[in-house]
Amino acid sequence: MYQTFRQSMTWLHTWFGLVLGFVLIVVFFFGALSVFDREIDRWAQPATRFAPQPMPSFDHLLRPVFERITEPDPDAIELARSLVDGPLPEKYPVMDWSAYTTHRDPVLDVYVSFDLPNARNPDDHVHGHQTIDPRSGTQLPASDLKIGSEFFYPLHYSLHLEWMELGYWIVGFAALSMLAALVSGVVIHRKIFRELFTFRPQKQRQRVNLDLHNLTGVVALPFHFFFAFTGLVIFAGIYFPVSETQLHPLVEAHEQAAAAATGLPHDPAGIAAPLASVDAMVGDAQRRWAARGMGGDVGFLFVNHVGDANGYVSIYRAGTDRIALTGQGIHYKASTGALIREDPPETAIASVNEFLTGLHLQHFRHWLLRFLYLFGGLAGCVCIATGFLFFVEKRKQQHARDGVAGARIVDALAVATITGTLIAALSMLVANRLLPENLVDRDEWQKNVFWLTWLASGIHAFWRTTVVQDGESAPAWREQTLVVAVLAVAAPILNWLTTGDHLLVTLQARYWPVAGIDLFLLATGVLAGLVAHRLRRPALAHTRLAAMKS
Amino acid sequence: MMLLLAFLLSFAGLALLALSMERHWRQLRATQPLPNSTARLLRIVGSAALAISLTLCLAVDHASMASLVWVMTLAVSAFVLAMLLAWRPGWLAPLISWARS
Amino acid sequence: MVVTLSRIAAAVLGGYIFVWGVVALSIASLAAGGMDYDQAWTLAMLLAFLVYLLVFIWAFAARRLAIVWVVLLGGGAAMTLGAQLLVGGR
Repeated sequence: MYQTFRQSMTWLHTWFGLVLGFVLIVVFFFGALSVFDREIDRWAQPATRFAPQPMPSFDHLLRPVFERITEPDPDAIELARSLVDGPLPEKYPVMDWSAYTTHRDPVLDVYVSFDLPNARNPDDHVHGHQTIDPRSGTQLPASDLKIGSEFFYPLHYSLHLEWMELGYWIVGFAALSMLAALVSGVVIHRKIFRELFTFRPQKQRQRVNLDLHNLTGVVALPFHFFFAFTGLVIFAGIYFPVSETQLHPLVEAHEQAAAAATGLPHDPAGIAAPLASVDAMVGDAQRRWAARGMGGDVGFLFVNHVGDANGYVSIYRAGTDRIALTGQGIHYKASTGALIREDPPETAIASVNEFLTGLHLQHFRHWLLRFLYLFGGLAGCVCIATGFLFFVEKRKQQHARDGVAGARIVDALAVATITGTLIAALSMLVANRLLPENLVDRDEWQKNVFWLTWLASGIHAFWRTTVVQDGESAPAWREQTLVVAVLAVAAPILNWLTTGDHLLVTLQARYWPVAGIDLFLLATGVLAGLVAHRLRRPALAHTRLAAMKS
Repeated sequence: MMLLLAFLLSFAGLALLALSMERHWRQLRATQPLPNSTARLLRIVGSAALAISLTLCLAVDHASMASLVWVMTLAVSAFVLAMLLAWRPGWLAPLISWARS
Repeated sequence: MVVTLSRIAAAVLGGYIFVWGVVALSIASLAAGGMDYDQAWTLAMLLAFLVYLLVFIWAFAARRLAIVWVVLLGGGAAMTLGAQLLVGGR
């Protein structure tokens, strides 16, 4: 196993690629969908199908909204139970207000962070959050689930496993394994340059699988590497929490020094103070950006130490025209509106970090690049999927002879994570359209549909792959592909029936979020149908063979 | 429009680089060997096309985005090229109609 | 089987301890040398996963597993201790 470098890398690539591949394909698939998370939100929330809006007036629209959020979210309070010594507090003092928007958001998310008295860690906070229509300030119900940005997107980085941040750790470990799989893959791919454009679909199934695996891995190699790497960098504070532990004494000293140097107070003074016109501050900020040749919209608004004499307002520019998320922060004294500080240009280290995180989090306005990212993500999924198929094909006959279940188990897991994942995601969209509009906890119902259909697909996958143990191809693939085809076509039809926004309407109105998603769904349905049709043949051959034998 | 041109140049550049390889040259010109001088010329022109593609990307967007756009056009182009070489290699013939065997 | 598990443990856990040591010692040293804490932290986190990848690969490629354990566990512990001394001295 470890005789040569190449052999050890083959072992590493095979086993870490296989085991972590089941996590990675889910991460990559929902990551790819997340490129268009806000568009998926529009499909799932018909009430929000209007044009993206800029950050609205703080004084007239946002301030009343913030002032009516007086308590954290119920589920945030539940999570806080494990963070406090003793009972939960009666009241939660308000600390900060924030609002964030991009060029793709019709609705606006506003956040209030609350202090958590009795917390073991004094830095722990709890949050309250609302989604509002920025044109009127009206709140959207929490049961109106944003399937894209609130479900698919967090699924891809945390698997929705919040307990002890376990999901983040699993995804992180998968990302590290991905980097190792990429490096080891390059090492073992002897003819990486000669076979750069090689795909031989006429050859044997194993060769076709391997060709496609190599192709999708290599052509998007920089993409795969950078996304795994930057994903790890983004959550580095979770994986190596040195600041909260070993190096905490250094952090304390630094925060006080930084507060003194920047003039931005770290703690509230405990003295009440009013809030001056934030709209005036925003206007001033926009003038200053324009004067620097960087005119732009407000992306992020932050009111620190609400209602306190030490309060300050931070206004950040939306980074739509470059990779960095937001930037060029300008800070004002909350009670007077006086300028405290304009953030200086980034240091080299900070610029590199901003580039890397911005590259991953994609808040830029560039539709071509977004579609290219989608290609990269799907290429990654194909790479991982063909990896599974290659593993099974290579060992199927031998395992059948030895009476070992390995290939069957891998095939079942592959079905569950490839077609099974598609079935779960599509079922969720279908449920989104079928469930009654005024159903209580409508969001929870949709999530349950997702998890239950995935579980059902997994069970079906294990049941319908038994023949792999005889060296045959599993019928599970064709059966699940057919389900995918049906669901993928049903979803846009249901959109039409329940909202009236069918393709002719949305295409004519050029309402791309919904038109685009409907087109993708239909394309998926057609593709799945074609694949299911092609998969008929092994089953037919098997039946004919059985008929001939009898 | 400029980005479309950049995309086409990425594709053409990679196609020329691919066809400068014996195995892919043979797919179009089965009976004619690939002379070293032609291979070298294909590589030079192909690389030039890629360089121009990058320049066009940089002319349209901020450098941070342009570099990503260019790299990803290479990824998509390489994939499409592999598909064409597998199923419709003849479609690439016009790209090397000028090349000497 | 045991050897395989040991090698995986060396790569994953030994690697983690080693990288913790690199991160902690780098930040503590840079901060002690006058660099802003946030800058030092960002730089360390940018390098951390590249280091982790390298030692991870090495753990599987290295001929003798014992050396991997000594370097990763021992090196990690030593660097973490070094960082602790620097922090304590402030």
